[in-house]
Amino acid sequence: MPRLPPSLFWRARREISPMATYLLKACRDLESTANELRWIREHVRATPSPVFPGLRTWNLCERRGKGVPLQYVLGTQPFGNLDIKCRPGVLIPRPETEAYTLHLASLLSQEQQSSPAPLSILDLCTGTGCIPLLLLSSLLTPPAAPPKITIHALDISPLAISLATHNHAHNTALNLLPPPTPQTPHTLTFTRANIFHPLPAPPHHQQPGGTIDLLTANPPYISPAAFATDTSRAVRNHEPRLALVPDTSTSTLTDYAAAYNCLPQDIFYARLLECAAELRPRRVFLEVGDMAQAVRVVGMVLRDGGAGLGGYYATVEIWRDEPEVERVEMRRIAGREVGVRGEGKGRGVYLFQGDV
Amino acid sequence: MLRPLTRLTVSLRLARAPTHAHHGFPAAAAAPFTTTTAAPLKQMPPRPKPPPESDLEESFLKGSGPGGQKINKTSSAVQIKHIPTGIVIKSQATRSRSENRKIARSLLALRLDELANGDQSRTAIVGGAKKKRSDSAAKKSRRKYKKLAEEAAEATGKETTLKQAEEVDVEEGKAAEQEAAERVMQSETGNNTNAQK
Repeated sequence: MPRLPPSLFWRARREISPMATYLLKACRDLESTANELRWIREHVRATPSPVFPGLRTWNLCERRGKGVPLQYVLGTQPFGNLDIKCRPGVLIPRPETEAYTLHLASLLSQEQQSSPAPLSILDLCTGTGCIPLLLLSSLLTPPAAPPKITIHALDISPLAISLATHNHAHNTALNLLPPPTPQTPHTLTFTRANIFHPLPAPPHHQQPGGTIDLLTANPPYISPAAFATDTSRAVRNHEPRLALVPDTSTSTLTDYAAAYNCLPQDIFYARLLECAAELRPRRVFLEVGDMAQAVRVVGMVLRDGGAGLGGYYATVEIWRDEPEVERVEMRRIAGREVGVRGEGKGRGVYLFQGDV
Repeated sequence: MLRPLTRLTVSLRLARAPTHAHHGFPAAAAAPFTTTTAAPLKQMPPRPKPPPESDLEESFLKGSGPGGQKINKTSSAVQIKHIPTGIVIKSQATRSRSENRKIARSLLALRLDELANGDQSRTAIVGGAKKKRSDSAAKKSRRKYKKLAEEAAEATGKETTLKQAEEVDVEEGKAAEQEAAERVMQSETGNNTNAQK
């Protein structure tokens, strides 16, 4: 990381504010420094406190300047129309996740418009609970509210489960999520579970005789080497490694890597595809780190080791950062034409039982 | 407990009744309390509707490096391009991607309205009304200080104060101008608009 010239600090002080000199250390350019200072001031104005506002702004700027992610400093991150609380120890929701979650919700809504049916969704490695919460909020918007929505979300971290539960209550209190009514019955449960153990017994993930309509997961997908070199400092120093890098110090995970002959960063996909083979959800979306990883995961789906998943899912697609953009290019992976949808970098693998 | 309150509302309503009638507001007979009626604003043109999505090219400004879990961007700036006119609008007003998308679209709608309607556009009419208000406020304050200065001059009986009054006058005008400029700056913070032709 190149050193910032002192003149830039003087300019930040002169053109923005003396507080900006703290922020500049973390933001590294004047535009984002001005933005973050504005957001910090808006936060101070919006949240009443007995502490003098100037002092609070100064404290927050100082913390941010030390490299703490802004979302941990302010305690929130907007996600779709929701306000997601963030706490150290739980991964901060990313805008890419927001983009594909909204796209998945619009696909489900379209389907609901033509044939309304109860929906069952399972989200693994849920973290703040941002994916199930946004799916729920988008699906409940009027034109195509399904008759019934059941969502189960699992995470290994007790911190994540308590934060996700809190986020559910927080967004309901803010009226961003409607409470369940007889007209729109919905349940959303967060359960602590290790997905490498057998998944919690029904009804946690399966209604008797029912199918899962959507399985989503944003698992840890960074290799230990990439964690050391590719991640930004705020991520490396402040966000939980548990949510970013598969923990290869445990034998459960290394056994998977050996059994499926996959790279350490792909271990979770081996297990997630195993879950998909067992539960047979109608749609699956797995977030990945880049195009190379997306291709590897598609390879895992299509090869024989994928437990016949390739035959089960008629649609196998790779989604880029902005899947809403109507652009599909075809790419040949493991002997099958796979659509690459949207714009940006490779962001996820989408499996669907039916045709697009 | 209730009686004095009711009496108060009745008296309020009686006091306000002519005002309501005059401006054509329906009398709030059912409402237990009436709030102070603000001076009736002139009807402004409605906010223009954003153009159809098919005319837009949207991009999310990101760095060239890795995305997803590897980095943690705080800003989710949105840039939209209106294909028929080539106007580009960028918004990073809020931390919310969804909110920025909405803001960019409404800014674009205003911009297209300006292009199509010129002096009759919403921005021109609202801006004109604001200018009129601030001008009249400046005029009022000028008069007030002139009067104060004159009174002071009468009290002391010195003729030199007339000159001082003029000075105050000029300063007051400047302050009002500066205030107006600041207000414009605030409303534009975070929304950079530029046209590519």
